[in-house]
Amino acid sequence: MNKIFSAIAILSLTLMTGCSGSDEADTVKVGLLHSLTGSMAISEKSVRDAEVLAIEEINATGGILGQQIEYIEEDGASDPSTFATKAEKLIDSENVATVFGCWTSSSRKAVKSIFEDYGALLWYPVQYEGMEASENIIYTGAAPNQQIIPAIEYLLDQGYEDFFLLGSDYVFPRTANMIIEAQLSDAGLDIVGAEYADMDQTDFSAIISKIELADPDVIINTLNGTGNVSFFKQMSERNYTADDYMTMSFSIAEEEVATIGPQILTDHLVSWNYYQTTDSIENENFVNSYKSMFGEDRVTSDPAEAAYCAVYLWKAAVEKAGSFEVEDVLNAIASSDISFNAPEGLVTINKDNQHLAKPVRIGQIREDGLIYEVFSTSAPVDPDPYLNNYDWAKDIQSFQ
Amino acid sequence: MDQFINTLFNGLSLTSIILFTSLGLSITFGLMRVINMAHGEFIMIGAYTTYVVQTIFTHIVPEQFQSWYYIVAIPIAFIISFAIGSILEITVISRLYGREIDSLLATFGISLILQQLARTIFGTQGVNVTAPDFLFGGFKIGTITFSYNRLFIIFSVIMCLGLIWYIMYRSAFGKQIRAVMQNRNMAQCMGINSRRVDNITFSIGSGIAGIAGCSISLLGSVDSTLGQNYIVYAFMVVVLGGVGNLKGSIIGAAIIGFASIFAENYTSATLAKAIVLFIVILFLQKRPQGLFVVKSRNLD
Amino acid sequence: MKYKVENISFATLALILAIIPLLLELNLLAGGSTVIFIGKCMSYAIVAIGIDLIWGYTGILSLGHGLYFGLGAYGMAMYLKLVSTGGQITDFMHIGGLEELPFIWTLFKYLPNTLFFMIAIPALVAFLVGYVIFKNRVKGVYFSIISQALTWAVYSIFISLSPYTNGNVGITGIKSLFGSVKGDANRANMYLLFYVTLGILILTYVIAKFLTQRKFGKILIAIRDGENRTYFSGYNVCLYKTFIYVLSAIITAFAGAIFVNFNGSITPSEMTIEFSIMMVIWVAVGGRGTIIGAVLGAFIINIGQYNLSSGIFVEIWQYIIGAIFTLTILFFKGGLVGLISEQSPILIKKFQQKQEQKQEQEQKQEHKQTKQKSEQIIITKPKEV
Repeated sequence: MNKIFSAIAILSLTLMTGCSGSDEADTVKVGLLHSLTGSMAISEKSVRDAEVLAIEEINATGGILGQQIEYIEEDGASDPSTFATKAEKLIDSENVATVFGCWTSSSRKAVKSIFEDYGALLWYPVQYEGMEASENIIYTGAAPNQQIIPAIEYLLDQGYEDFFLLGSDYVFPRTANMIIEAQLSDAGLDIVGAEYADMDQTDFSAIISKIELADPDVIINTLNGTGNVSFFKQMSERNYTADDYMTMSFSIAEEEVATIGPQILTDHLVSWNYYQTTDSIENENFVNSYKSMFGEDRVTSDPAEAAYCAVYLWKAAVEKAGSFEVEDVLNAIASSDISFNAPEGLVTINKDNQHLAKPVRIGQIREDGLIYEVFSTSAPVDPDPYLNNYDWAKDIQSFQ
Repeated sequence: MDQFINTLFNGLSLTSIILFTSLGLSITFGLMRVINMAHGEFIMIGAYTTYVVQTIFTHIVPEQFQSWYYIVAIPIAFIISFAIGSILEITVISRLYGREIDSLLATFGISLILQQLARTIFGTQGVNVTAPDFLFGGFKIGTITFSYNRLFIIFSVIMCLGLIWYIMYRSAFGKQIRAVMQNRNMAQCMGINSRRVDNITFSIGSGIAGIAGCSISLLGSVDSTLGQNYIVYAFMVVVLGGVGNLKGSIIGAAIIGFASIFAENYTSATLAKAIVLFIVILFLQKRPQGLFVVKSRNLD
Repeated sequence: MKYKVENISFATLALILAIIPLLLELNLLAGGSTVIFIGKCMSYAIVAIGIDLIWGYTGILSLGHGLYFGLGAYGMAMYLKLVSTGGQITDFMHIGGLEELPFIWTLFKYLPNTLFFMIAIPALVAFLVGYVIFKNRVKGVYFSIISQALTWAVYSIFISLSPYTNGNVGITGIKSLFGSVKGDANRANMYLLFYVTLGILILTYVIAKFLTQRKFGKILIAIRDGENRTYFSGYNVCLYKTFIYVLSAIITAFAGAIFVNFNGSITPSEMTIEFSIMMVIWVAVGGRGTIIGAVLGAFIINIGQYNLSSGIFVEIWQYIIGAIFTLTILFFKGGLVGLISEQSPILIKKFQQKQEQKQEQEQKQEHKQTKQKSEQIIITKPKEV
């Protein structure tokens, strides 16, 4: 009993004191804020890994402004309030120079005002629904006009007419579908149906039956995470392939293909800015070092690549500013073109809305589990988070 | 008409899944009055076992026998969850008899540990379990597709139910289980080793969860949070059906399964879930002890 | 005697909390965020008191108190959001297709109304749920599972009614009642909020103590230990249970409202079953049936999580927290407080015995002394905890 008691005493002491990073003069601290536990850990792990890879690479080549990067990792536990608490801890207690983090829109929105209040800087690496441009966030994933709109344009070009919208019940699918509906009605089309699945839905039979009734020729899929696995597995139960119902997905990258099973997903379409098969020397190096660091069986994906870019863009901005101070870095971003020769091609931070100009690629999944480009824009597309350049989006803009 | 049959089949198939995931729980709760929050994690263990067996098969078994992995996985999933269940019973559950509520909290801790264990072993990302050829797809009658996998799940549930029924009501061991269930002290006086009965029953319950995990691995994502998606419905079924009652569990699962599918036909999935939960809550107001109550004159 | 120790411990804790802002001013803390975090912990501690009243004292295990936490938090968040939009409708309402402020939001336009409805709504829900359930004499695990189902159902509704609640994202970008509390410039606001919260925590403690030390508390314990016997003794058990359940819901809703002030956002994640179970775990680890135990549990678990759920500790932390839950329930039913109060008299006795032995042995053998000293250190140390 005494042993248990003293063990508890020691444990409680450790709990109270916790751990604190070293404060060496020649290192600069950055924060990584992702869900390492909970339902979002499935997705966020690869993004976190890509960030660590970029940091290690930069450290190996001499760091930034002669300083080595030391990263402090916090677990957001798939809970927006934990994200908020941890963001505050990183910014205010750990005094990190910048934070790379978040995946879901709800976690980003929960930390957004914290970054604004403290005047800190967040690099957000995932495609999202747009309608946002915080001065304290750099968005390295795609805005809607760099992913959703070109995908719909591509489908319209291919002659698809009956669109069915399927998404999880949260902000990205709802906003994305609002944009898609406006875009389709501009093309003189109506959707044949829209369904929202529960976030942790496991049985899609009712939804699939609704799809059968609506009989679309393409399904716009904005499901996220585990919902995708259930949906496609249960579609294949009914013998449906891309020939019966083509799908265009916005949240399925190489990683998800591997967990759903390539044979089920063969020929389905996705829209991203980057694929593991993207043909460039930068990408070859990225894929090789990612695999050698985390294992041969791992695949790279668009969000991972965007996270990788984020670290290098931060490096470029810091070097331009000659300082790690957030204010100087933001000034450098606002006053000059910060760009990076990324695996996906040249990406540049837009001075006004802090999104990236990046190429758009429509891809098709093949049996080897990789995604191959079937269409791409010749030049990087400028980000337009508020859809100011689209007349049909007037109604959506007025909501701002 | 087709539409209606389709809905019925969807409902039946969801019912079978819910029943599958709650069978083990209803046995252990009925016998030991222990609420096992880690029950979902036994489903997860079954699913991961299927994955491991599949991976081993792709490495050592010739191409044409690949599909047999699933047949092999089912007993192995049962054995592994049975074994882990047995260990858990000896180390934790056996100390919690007569402490229903405490058992719920203690096993919540176990569930956190098992989830993290899965993350440590298999990584945070999900793994891919591919349906074997003979369960891939389905056959079509009219406009309705009957999926082989769904039919297989319905078949497996019926087999499990039959097996449990046989063990409970036709075997000597079943007599012991029921004796302990009805009056633990008296059963002990009659020379029944109630420790052994408890251990084996709990392990069987966990083993069935493992088999359920096998089936579920073909339906959705296999990752560390898999069990969490099923656990609450499993509780509802047990509570709805009444304690330690197979018939009750079947009807409880049917209520939830069919209500979900019907509600979802008319509204969104999220609202359908809320509706089903409210139905369950209202129902329990009328029958607080569930559908079928084991009559007892006991009072605390 | 026992009560005295408990009150002294709580007073000490309150004193430590009270000087935390001072530590920040003296630059002994890492930053203002630590104070804000301790503020959140205080709101959790208030929840823990609410849970302890119904579980530790009355034996009602609610696995759905996230519902009341969420209702209180959303009420406060709606008011604060309307403050920041100047009473205008919000962006997510626009996206949801609403033209004007929905009725439910108009209730939270002014602070007095907000304070009223913030309490009235959870209280009403708790009363309806509690009265019907307790009247039907649903108890034990059945009640726990119903409370779970209810919370899950409301959680789903909050997500599906996104034009009114902003679904999964919840209400974000809000400041506290006293203005922004983030950053060095707003420290005065932060301290004000911190001390108001501390005041509410102390008030909650006093109310809980007041109730539990009276005959009322004894009846609650009687219900916990033998509901039917209490019933047969002529007490209206249903009424007692409903009363304490509603009180607990109000306390929890209040804590939710405080939490929003510190957190600056509220999402349905605070209404999940997992979070609700965590609340119970705080109480279990700290020590059910003692108010001080609930408070300590909330602080210890959350501070531990704050410090250890990062970097390489993430994996280990999940194992540690799982093990703590299980071991506490299995072996230390009284939690931390139970452990200390059980062990300390024994330890004192042992210490005295050892001292006597030591004196004897000192006279006989000198070389054994060193070994015993080390034993004493191990034994005496926890006494200071």
